[in-house]
Amino acid sequence: MTAHRPGAVAAAADGSRPASPHRLPCGSTCRVDLSRPLSFDFLGRPMTGFAGDTVASALYANGVRIFSRSLKYHRPRGLYSIEGESATTYMAIDGVPNECAETTELRAGMSVRAQNVRGDPKTDRFGFIGAFERLMPAGFYYRLGHRPYSLWPLFQNGLRRMAGTGVLDPRREYRPGVRAERYLNVDVAVVGGGTAGMEAALAAAERGLRVCVFERRPWMGGHHAWRVREFEGKPLWQRASELEARVRATENVRVLTRSPVTGVWGENLVTGFTVGGDDDPFRECHWECRARTVVVAAGCMDRPLVFNHNDRPGVMQPGAAWRLARTYGVSPGKVAVVSVGDDLGLEAAVDLTRLGVEVRAVVDSRRRGHDPALLEELYDLRIPFRSRWSASRAKGGKHVTGCDVWGMSGIGPNSYTCDLVVANAGAQPRIGVLATVKAKLGYCRHTHSYQPVELPDDVFVAGSMTGLRDPGSITESGRLAGLRAAAFCRRQGTALDARRIGRAEPAGEAGPSSPGDNCPPALSAAIEKATSTLASRPGPVAGTGIFRGQGIGRGAKAFVDLDEDGTYKNVVESAAQGFDAPELAKRFGGFGLGPGQYRVTGQNLAMIMAAMGLDSGKATVPAPTTVRPPLVPPSLATLAGPPHDVHKRTPLHDEQTARGAIFRRMGPWERARYFSEDPSCRDEILGVRRNVGLLDSSPLGKFRIFGPDALNALQRVYISDMRKARPGRCMYSAMCNDMGQLMDDGVVVKESENGYYFTTSSARAGTTVEWFRYHTRYDGWDYHLVNITDVLGSLNLAGPNARRVLERVTRDDVSNDAFPYMGVRRITVGDGVEVRCLRLGFVGELSFELHVPSSYCQYVWGLLVDAGADFGMQPIGLEAQNCLRAEKGHIIIGAESEQRVILTDIGMGWMWDRRDTASKKVGAPALRACAEQPGRMKLVGFRVDEGSGSHRGDLEAAPGAQPGGGPGDGAVIVADGEVVGYVCTTRRSETLGWRYGMALVREEHAARGAGLNIYENLGSGRKSTCSATVVAPHFYDPRGERLRA
Amino acid sequence: MTFRLTCPVCGKRDVYEFTFGGQERGPRPGQEGLSAEDHFRWTQYRLIPYAPGEEWWYHAQGCGLWFKTTRDPATNREVEE
Repeated sequence: MTAHRPGAVAAAADGSRPASPHRLPCGSTCRVDLSRPLSFDFLGRPMTGFAGDTVASALYANGVRIFSRSLKYHRPRGLYSIEGESATTYMAIDGVPNECAETTELRAGMSVRAQNVRGDPKTDRFGFIGAFERLMPAGFYYRLGHRPYSLWPLFQNGLRRMAGTGVLDPRREYRPGVRAERYLNVDVAVVGGGTAGMEAALAAAERGLRVCVFERRPWMGGHHAWRVREFEGKPLWQRASELEARVRATENVRVLTRSPVTGVWGENLVTGFTVGGDDDPFRECHWECRARTVVVAAGCMDRPLVFNHNDRPGVMQPGAAWRLARTYGVSPGKVAVVSVGDDLGLEAAVDLTRLGVEVRAVVDSRRRGHDPALLEELYDLRIPFRSRWSASRAKGGKHVTGCDVWGMSGIGPNSYTCDLVVANAGAQPRIGVLATVKAKLGYCRHTHSYQPVELPDDVFVAGSMTGLRDPGSITESGRLAGLRAAAFCRRQGTALDARRIGRAEPAGEAGPSSPGDNCPPALSAAIEKATSTLASRPGPVAGTGIFRGQGIGRGAKAFVDLDEDGTYKNVVESAAQGFDAPELAKRFGGFGLGPGQYRVTGQNLAMIMAAMGLDSGKATVPAPTTVRPPLVPPSLATLAGPPHDVHKRTPLHDEQTARGAIFRRMGPWERARYFSEDPSCRDEILGVRRNVGLLDSSPLGKFRIFGPDALNALQRVYISDMRKARPGRCMYSAMCNDMGQLMDDGVVVKESENGYYFTTSSARAGTTVEWFRYHTRYDGWDYHLVNITDVLGSLNLAGPNARRVLERVTRDDVSNDAFPYMGVRRITVGDGVEVRCLRLGFVGELSFELHVPSSYCQYVWGLLVDAGADFGMQPIGLEAQNCLRAEKGHIIIGAESEQRVILTDIGMGWMWDRRDTASKKVGAPALRACAEQPGRMKLVGFRVDEGSGSHRGDLEAAPGAQPGGGPGDGAVIVADGEVVGYVCTTRRSETLGWRYGMALVREEHAARGAGLNIYENLGSGRKSTCSATVVAPHFYDPRGERLRA
Repeated sequence: MTFRLTCPVCGKRDVYEFTFGGQERGPRPGQEGLSAEDHFRWTQYRLIPYAPGEEWWYHAQGCGLWFKTTRDPATNREVEE
């Protein structure tokens, strides 16, 4: 079996001494490179591990036995599992709390701290709390300290200080490093890269399918990777590593190691993440893999044995002790007692003996079903063995010093002195993935585990999780699953896929497909052959329904859930209070709610509950608690993904940057908000009012619509009579939704018989096409709609001197007679750039909006800047535009409109073509029903009464405070102690010299001349109030003379 | 929650590429003499049966087509008709 003799601890295989006194010469299964030491520190003490170590194995090798203190009782906790099944080794690593030391690979320079500990974990100051176990029965958190309620915060805060896991530092930026995300499309996703998973991958890949294998560990092979037992003349580890080499050499198999699966979602979307190794360009990578079929070969883990003090450091599961020795070359202890419930546990006992651990006794809770070869080996090694016995109590305070074992029939105890108790109740399959693919699980009385009763027809299960233990059976079950997945893909495939699969058919298997069933006979034959081979090999082995040792009394110190300190006694208490189903007890007593989730607790909890049901005369089968993703927790940073700031820049971004623009994100765009540090934009505003300014309004939505039904489509979505659109003339109109709410506004220009050009607000540019097509989807109209927002930039030249600047760059006649207000012309600027020029007045001055092909924008900007230099023209930003348009009473959708108001409420009812019912205008019926409704909110203008403002506190420093003080945007309007509206936009006008604004208020407060009381709570005791008078919302140039100048 | 939809132009694609357009409820009613209640019924009133039903979807991240498909809310999968 193996060359290593017992007692060969001191000498390594090559004759040199192991580099660390705790390291074993475990030979070929070892994953630790003893030639590459890595130094790290634990609680400030320097330690040495090796490349290939996990943090937990390195700590254990350095003699650390207490890794943490438990959540409630502050009991010392050590290495119990080895792959993060329990949270006993959650630690703070490099300042990041709740890192799983068992699965985190050691890196040089790591700094490791214990959690939930005051001081050193050996001498934790809260260690006494365990003595008060009686005061903390199941669900005590829900029942104690609530009466009188005033005491609860005290109670709660006290608990929170003493209980818990890691601590976050709110000032710290956690998890630096690259987070990646990748998306895959495969035919077969294999969950678990053990022998069965690898065989499935190869079987499917040989038939030309794209396969992706997710494997949690850094290597493949599952439990065969550390077993030295021989099968068909070769040690299992060697078979596994040869198989791994074959899988990795197969072109159409993508192998992802260090990659746990977090869940499987609708239509087989497999999600997982990869923890980056030294060569990877990322720290963690999130995967979303869309798979046509899923093969689940997730394997098994130990099912814990519940006995007194089963959480003492020194008690560990066979998988943990065995792998510590075999994978990491770390001796788990000197003298061991082994209490197991399956053959893998017995094999671990034999192997640990051969590696130099002195095994005092092996007990097995099963009555029969032991592998005779293993019993023989135990006999040869002179290890006493008893069946139907199990551990009942671990002795010792901070570490195990001995162990009592009892016979299941009640004989005992036998006491042993030892420093290691290796215990499990049996094996349990890792059902998490099966649960997330919505397989129906049932309790199997033969394997004593949950097995799929109903599987989706594109999910296949293989390997040891089905109860198989014979390596040949596991191999065959994997192959069969891979073939079935291939057959499924073949049946479901599109013609394209079928060609691809057909081309890669291995020699001898290609054949004419039978009609109806797209599965070639050769593939069917291969499936039949694999099925019969599997049937001829050993089937699932019998499991054991035992979950606890004899003689544990009330089980006050027998832990069912180590993470949440849930004891056997707590389970009984939960049931006694009526929470007698696993799902109820789980919530009441917290079993399985900790980081370990269902892994350690799940099946045992259900088995205990079922057994108690049986005791009380109810025939009960263990029912699984729901398993939810993520099955393994990825870091939040990984879920958040890489910090891509995906945004659009206008063609004039660089020009504006050169002029000192301060940019802000507006929807998808980076837009120039200010051109100075002055948030009131005084100079920009006065520049436009008195002289001329230049605004980059490129994000404005720009569209062409043409075709015989273009007018019909416009009539449907616009609220006005669009037949009035004329060439050479801008028609201002708006779109409503079915509720009559204002969705969008812009101008429409007729450009040819069936062709129109129109603009939308920047925010709606992205959804306009969808909107048009949605509202015309039944009509079969013939029109084309083209979004040319990004094709054309837009420059807005505004101010009394705008025409004089424009005249310098064009020879076309732009005089008021030739080109009046609301006109639109095609003009040629500079050396022959033809642009659409719209004479609009959003900012309330003479202005020309130039729609310029994007590639000419920089050129035209340069022309205008040069031409405007003599006038002292300045670029303006969005905030200046916002103030300018608000002074003019022009609204912005979303600022001066919202869900509660319809078109007529904001003074835009004049647009609505009330007579038209034939075009079925979107929103017209709602407007008809609601326009005359009393009590609606209305948009009003207001003028703040001079000297009425009063504030308390430092307003200028308050977030969102308005320059010059006073309530700002969003302040509420109060009447008789009731909120009757709110301020949409308010500014102090640089032009008018007084403070104005627009507000939405209830109709009864909207009459001209009415008084408004405005109130704003700025937080931290700061508030601001003022009174205002309702006026017409056209504060500046109410007759529009300046627009038409 | 995730599933795929079959765009008549682009084929099976991830649901993230689509926007939902509501259940099929027939063409926009004529507005001559349409009562407020009937209008409300057409725009707002929804029965959500737990059975396959016709739905509108828009291939926003793709070809920009509005299409109807029959989907079973119990499995989130499209149903062959």
